[in-house]
Amino acid sequence: MAAYPGMSMGEAHRRITEYLNRFSDAVSNQDAASLRFLLSLSSNSPFLLSLADALNIFQDSGRLIKHSDHYSQYSDILFNLFRSLQTYRLGNLFDSYQAFEKSANAFIQEFRNWESAWALEALYALAYEIRVLAERADRDLASNGKSPEKLKAAGSFLMKVFGVLAGKGPKRVGALYVTCQLFKVYFKLGTVHLCRSVIRSIETARIFDFEEFPKRDKVTYMYYTGRLEVFNENFPAADNKLSYALTHCNPRREANIRMILKYLIPVKLSIGILPKDWLLEKYNLVEYRDVVQALRRGDLRLLRRALQEHEDRFLRSGVFLVLEKLELQVYQRLVKKIYIIQKQKDPTKAHQVKLEVIVKALKWLEMDMDVDEVECIMSILIYKNLVKGYFAHKSKVVVLSKQDPFPKLNGKPVNS
Amino acid sequence: MQHHSHLVHRVWEQQMYHKITMAMHHTLILLIHMVMELQDTRVTIIAIRSSSSSSLTILAISSSLTTPAISRNLTTPAISSSLITPAISSSLIIPAISSSLIPATSSSLIPATSSSTLTLPIHNLWEHIKTQTAGGYPSSGYSNQTTTWSDGSYANYTPHQYANYTPDSSTSAYSSGTVTAPSSHYQQQQYKQWADYYSQTEVSCAPGTENMTVASKSNVGCPIPGVSSGYSTSTSQAPPSYTPSWMPESSSSEFSSVQPAAGISSASDAYWQHGAPSSQIHITSPMQPQSQKPLDPKTTYDSFLDQQKAAYSQGHNLQYPATHQVPQSYQSPANQQVPQSYQSPAQIVPSSDTRRVSKLQIPTNPRIASNLTFGLPKTDKDSSTAGAAVKPAYISVSQPKANEKVLSNDAADSMLKPGTFPKSLRGYVERALVRCKGDMQMEACQDFMKEMITKATADGTLYTRDWDTEPLFPLPNVDAVNKDLQSSTPGSSLPKYKRSPSRRSKSRWEPLPEEKFVDKSASVMSDTMKYGGWINANDKDRKPFFGNNGNKENNMSGMKFSPLDQKNASKNAQRPVKKQRYADGFNVADNCDASSDSDKEQSLTAYYSSAITLANTPEEKKRRENRSKRFEKRQGRTESNQFKPKNAGAGNLYSRRASALVLSKTFEDGAARAVEDIDWDSLTVKGTCQEIEKRYLRLTSAPDPASVRPEEVLEKALDMVHNSQKNYLYKCDQLKSIRQDLTVQRIRNWLTVKVYETHARLALEVGDLFEYNQCQSQLKTLYAEGIEGCHMEFSAYNLLCVILHSNNYRDLLSSMSRLSDEAKKDETVKHALAVRAAVTSENYVMFFRLYKTAPYLSTCLMDLYVEKMRYKAVSCMSRSYRPTIPVSYVAQVLGFITARPRNEGSDEKDSDGLGECVDWLKAHGACLIADNNGEMQLDTKASCASLFVPEPEDAVAHGDANLAVNDFLTRTSL
Repeated sequence: MAAYPGMSMGEAHRRITEYLNRFSDAVSNQDAASLRFLLSLSSNSPFLLSLADALNIFQDSGRLIKHSDHYSQYSDILFNLFRSLQTYRLGNLFDSYQAFEKSANAFIQEFRNWESAWALEALYALAYEIRVLAERADRDLASNGKSPEKLKAAGSFLMKVFGVLAGKGPKRVGALYVTCQLFKVYFKLGTVHLCRSVIRSIETARIFDFEEFPKRDKVTYMYYTGRLEVFNENFPAADNKLSYALTHCNPRREANIRMILKYLIPVKLSIGILPKDWLLEKYNLVEYRDVVQALRRGDLRLLRRALQEHEDRFLRSGVFLVLEKLELQVYQRLVKKIYIIQKQKDPTKAHQVKLEVIVKALKWLEMDMDVDEVECIMSILIYKNLVKGYFAHKSKVVVLSKQDPFPKLNGKPVNS
Repeated sequence: MQHHSHLVHRVWEQQMYHKITMAMHHTLILLIHMVMELQDTRVTIIAIRSSSSSSLTILAISSSLTTPAISRNLTTPAISSSLITPAISSSLIIPAISSSLIPATSSSLIPATSSSTLTLPIHNLWEHIKTQTAGGYPSSGYSNQTTTWSDGSYANYTPHQYANYTPDSSTSAYSSGTVTAPSSHYQQQQYKQWADYYSQTEVSCAPGTENMTVASKSNVGCPIPGVSSGYSTSTSQAPPSYTPSWMPESSSSEFSSVQPAAGISSASDAYWQHGAPSSQIHITSPMQPQSQKPLDPKTTYDSFLDQQKAAYSQGHNLQYPATHQVPQSYQSPANQQVPQSYQSPAQIVPSSDTRRVSKLQIPTNPRIASNLTFGLPKTDKDSSTAGAAVKPAYISVSQPKANEKVLSNDAADSMLKPGTFPKSLRGYVERALVRCKGDMQMEACQDFMKEMITKATADGTLYTRDWDTEPLFPLPNVDAVNKDLQSSTPGSSLPKYKRSPSRRSKSRWEPLPEEKFVDKSASVMSDTMKYGGWINANDKDRKPFFGNNGNKENNMSGMKFSPLDQKNASKNAQRPVKKQRYADGFNVADNCDASSDSDKEQSLTAYYSSAITLANTPEEKKRRENRSKRFEKRQGRTESNQFKPKNAGAGNLYSRRASALVLSKTFEDGAARAVEDIDWDSLTVKGTCQEIEKRYLRLTSAPDPASVRPEEVLEKALDMVHNSQKNYLYKCDQLKSIRQDLTVQRIRNWLTVKVYETHARLALEVGDLFEYNQCQSQLKTLYAEGIEGCHMEFSAYNLLCVILHSNNYRDLLSSMSRLSDEAKKDETVKHALAVRAAVTSENYVMFFRLYKTAPYLSTCLMDLYVEKMRYKAVSCMSRSYRPTIPVSYVAQVLGFITARPRNEGSDEKDSDGLGECVDWLKAHGACLIADNNGEMQLDTKASCASLFVPEPEDAVAHGDANLAVNDFLTRTSL
């Protein structure tokens, strides 16, 4: 009691009843915005914070809820919500999450019974809150040496919410939002494989056209599925999805654009499309600058350095292996350069590139590779159709095709 | 000659008998024999079920004449039938009987006519049944079961047969039946249809069965009444001619074939042929109580009871039809005589038995239905024609024959399934019989041989023994044999056969060795299969099943089934069996009993004797008691089951463990806790075992300190494993036991790490990725706890493992991102990372260089990827090189040659490697040519299209070539 000297018992009571009234009004008026506000625990709005204080003073809020017919039907929601608020205010995120999940469960029970989808906004808030709360609770748990498991629980709760929305009907519009929350959970947990079932239900359902989902959700969805395609090394698909996200996202949200570009650029690079420098500068993606440079110049050393330098970052974002595979394109560029130089010297013999020349070029780049290794790389280049021609083992010469010896990728991935 | 053939048949029969027993246990029932004897009259119904579509077929219903000879013959079948019956659903039999018999009842009671003969027994039977049912069980129980069953079975029948019939006149009979039946509505309708059908076609049995199947509830009873009406007319006409016609036939050669199947004992056969009166037999037959010369009521009743149990305990279906029918039979004047005497006892009976019956019912139903459809039509035809008075005699004769033959066929079939009944055996039997003088001796001989064959069958030596050289047994002293027989079977004249029925029923419900039959189920199944196939084929052909055709076939003996039939059979085989199983499983209590039964290993003989005693009332009482105690028993059993394996294992293998187990057992007993619930904290033991060597046995209970080795001993054990010359499986076993002891004592220190590292390395060496992964994951947590070890080495292994074997992009990323800077400087880890780079870039030159320089056991991990890499490399090379590549270069680049070719002093190795490379290339479809200098070249252009990955030579079904059979055997023998 002493902790909240500014509030009297009467004041606390008044605030609680005010909240209860606003809640029941929002429900009866189908005012999703107000409801959303009332449920947004982590918004730290002064109204909710003072309510939390009031709840800590006036301990018997349960009786208040049960007292009135207006609220008693929502007692499961409200009671647990109050407890969640209370503990949230006290910094006990674990308990807060627990209570919030119960409250949210009760809420979706109600939501199920509402025929129209008016409360979707409120449900979004719920889905968001539960994820954020779970993340914070997990952080707490981890710092206390306990195993963080709340995010996992949030994942399964969200799956339940998804089930409520995914059916036929007006509520389906909300499914994609929940899906995106689920993606966030799964990506954080590293259980990306769990995304598959949700994706399937979104993409295979004929009852709802994907384009009818809110744009915001579509962008998020495309972003995450694009990232999944990067994991799968399915670059054309990743390109499609990430490009969709980029073209449809809010152009003023630079952070979002950056996030998309972080994956889109490696994808584009791997299919032979290089970004302009200003783009990298504008969105602060300088870690890619050297990579792009290396590709332009055929500078293997630069590529390797860049990869080494940003290895941690690339590994964490999951593009390391994508970038590493650019090596072949760098080799291609290198051979092409040699070819161009030879052509300038003697156009008739330009299409025969001696292996020792390439080895020498690599030496200049401080790449210590012997003939066998380079031969192998040339063989791979030809095999993957980055170089047209053949390798003559006896004479150790790469014989280039006279027509288009270095085919451009033009948006197609390297053959694998 | 007849005798000989008899014997042969006998042999078959025996086998069949054997099968049947097995079948009973398994609820795969091949045959149903039912013989009812009343005084002089006897009706034999032989039902054989075909399993084609999970259904039984009643092949023949034979009504026999009053003549004693016939009765004799019949009796034997009866016995056999009784054996079979329990296993087979009694319901089958009844409907069949009812159809044929009921008409008789209505028509006349007189024994002289075949029809009349039929009636008496039937009535009695029905009465019994009825009474039982009435007393019986809650109907709810039935319905459930029935429904489950109904699905599969009726589907088949309904379509063809029913469609045409219009609801009809003969319904009157029904109404009475319906009253008893729980699901009156449905049934009535069906009845009508059936009745109509019957009246038209004069099919007696089939309809009833059909109904049963169709209606999920107890439909069985209903159809029968309808049938009866149709039947009665036919029967009444036929009667006079019956008896005489039959007789002649029986003596004929055809009969002999029949005999084995139907008649179990030689004596019976003899009777049959000679027409000797068989008074003794009566006792056995269920119908006896009804007999006009009533013995003292009590005894009859008892015997009746026993028999009923034997016959019916399993099939409730019987009872149902009974119920329906009984009312009818009552109405008819003929019945009245018998029924009264009966009823009182019968009513008493039901309560005890009914329950059993009800359970069983379900399984039987489907079959019955099937039986009726397939098998019955023929019968009907026959009977109808017969009834029509064309050739009544013939028909009557043919029917029984057919049935019996079928039986014999079946038996033969079952035997033949695996192969044929050995010819040599037949020869042997014939030789033995030739010596005999007189029937008595012959009988004795036959008995003797029967036993021999049974034994041989049981031993499995039936087919392996050389019967041609087998010495003939000394001719038995007939008297002695007789004595033996009598003494062994106190209550009955036909000891063995009699036993079998009771045995069945017992096996079903009482704790008896069921397991024995399990392994034989296969043969039973096959038998069933054949049968089903046969029937199906017949059905297709629309040939009467046991009409003339049938006879012909039968005469040829069972083996002569046409190949087509067999094929069909085999196709059909599996389903019915499954269903049966299901049915078995349906009743949980039953299962429980069965499993517990298996615990008691009783010899067959014991089995028999118990069965015999069963027939006596006191025994029966006991049984009842047992039944009532079943629940208690089951509890006890489950307990014993739980501990048995443990104890057994302990006793056999580890005497010391045994004590531990006992300890733990007491613990468990006291607390009644599951293993998972055991509080391991409180059980953390301090081992006291000083033995260094210990086999791994997965703990199923709390460990016993006496069998756990303390740390210092474990250290020695680890050293021992290190220094051991034995194979990996031994070491693996030892290491696992060390790991277990460590875990149990919660030792997590350098030793633990060392043990896991040792094990992981050993596993890597032999490519046992499963064990390796276990160790690796343990090591991960151990290292995470800060325990010193070869952390780097193992993170390198982990990396390699992910790169080379999981091939998962995300896993690779995460394990790469988890590497510490320190780790990245480690040589092993560096190597692993380099390997990863080589693999992702498909740089084969790099890969095989790293392969050659791999530190520690990285080589082993890479080994597992070499083949893949080589193939990739060769396909790459053949695409990009033109026109050729020297094989020597390929060999060098792909790691076939360990040293560089230019190195001196390695020529031998090189040539070896070169040869290996050539072999490998050839195995993968590469085109090799020799150039002008005679050097082998890879023709790249040609190879480009012809490369393929060959099937691994050492591929094994279980996917792990390391678990070779020999190793496995050595392991088990450890």
